[in-house]
Amino acid sequence: MPTPRHHLNRERRRQALAGPPAEPAAARPRQRPALMTAVRDTATESKRGTATEPKRETVAEDAVVRPRRLVPPATLAVLCVLTLLLGGFAGWAHSRAEGLRADPALGNTALTDLARTSEIKGQTAAAVAALFSYDHADTGPFEQAGKTLLTGKAVAQHRTLLDGVLAQAARQKTVITTTVTDSAVERIDGDRARVLVYADQSSVSTAGTAERQPKTPKQPREQAQDQGVYAGAMFAVDVVHRDGRWLVENIDTFGR
Amino acid sequence: MTRAVRTPAGSRPALAGALALTLVAGGFAAWTGRDWYAAAHDDSAAYAVQRDRALAAGEQAVQNLNTLDHHRVEQGLDLWESSTTGDLHKQLVDGRAEFTGQVKTAKTVTTARVLSGAVTELDDRAGRARVLVALRITVTTPDSKSTEKDSRMLGELTRAEGRWKLSGLGQAPVGGTAAG
Repeated sequence: MPTPRHHLNRERRRQALAGPPAEPAAARPRQRPALMTAVRDTATESKRGTATEPKRETVAEDAVVRPRRLVPPATLAVLCVLTLLLGGFAGWAHSRAEGLRADPALGNTALTDLARTSEIKGQTAAAVAALFSYDHADTGPFEQAGKTLLTGKAVAQHRTLLDGVLAQAARQKTVITTTVTDSAVERIDGDRARVLVYADQSSVSTAGTAERQPKTPKQPREQAQDQGVYAGAMFAVDVVHRDGRWLVENIDTFGR
Repeated sequence: MTRAVRTPAGSRPALAGALALTLVAGGFAAWTGRDWYAAAHDDSAAYAVQRDRALAAGEQAVQNLNTLDHHRVEQGLDLWESSTTGDLHKQLVDGRAEFTGQVKTAKTVTTARVLSGAVTELDDRAGRARVLVALRITVTTPDSKSTEKDSRMLGELTRAEGRWKLSGLGQAPVGGTAAG
């Protein structure tokens, strides 16, 4: 900013203000024209070199300047309206986006997150197989599964489900094998998921006659096979993601 | 430079402030607008919605097909037919007369309750889905004795005219089958 000229102009303005009577210093926009043209007059005179009649030019300039002075308030108004419109749109768009995201379907990432879905299915199937398989001759894997794959109330549920079976299995030297035949992830909500499991269990007693071993939640059908008993079971498990693994937190046997 | 000097001293900061506010508002508008567009055109959201629709339709259809009252066989079978499509629908239509006779002779009332259900596969584009539905079926005989039985249903759904319908239904086999 050219300070010398600035000062000069200011001085001139002051003088101009002092000249006309009763002009308040804090001139309202309306009152500026005169002073502005005066300033412009001196400034433009030398620049343009149109050294015609100063008086005439002032009049001409006055006409030009007047609309220009009206621009700032109009611009301000336009900006205000624009701000309100844009702000309003922003608020509306935000609420619409939130509304779309609030759809309960989106809170569930089962199948939409394929990698996680198959990870959960795989780990749940492995966990169920380990938790419900028992070999009287080598109980290590079974005990290990009970310690590492369960959490929360599932520990007690697992014990209740298997207590009777295990006592019998130990007596009859049974080998129980559980295989998950079908499973589907009902819901994934962050670190929690629920999986519907269909499993087959085979019980083979190595001490005499094969006996049916009701072991998991329920057996819709049982059917004798060559060397054992097969039973189908259905139940749902709630799993929770902890330290990179999915642990069984709840076993829902549908009230059976 | 001369022009800057000429601008009324009072409105310059106001103008600058207003302009800044407008720009900020414009920024927000652009951001939220983009966000909204993204939310509205989210493929996985559309997929999730289809998944839930398929499951709801599948559970309802499986329940329908396991519900029949010998007093109202015709309505029951109409519902069966309206819940199905494809081969399953054809089977039901073909076997209707025979089945009606059986149920009227047996005089049973069968009701079903869905315990749990989940989608295993969903091909949104082809309009096909597979569901597991855990079902508890209650059969009441004429002497008012009722028996409960749990069924492990496997359903196959096909989308027809925007609606998911059952195109295949069976029970999960037990014993000796390879793990799926």
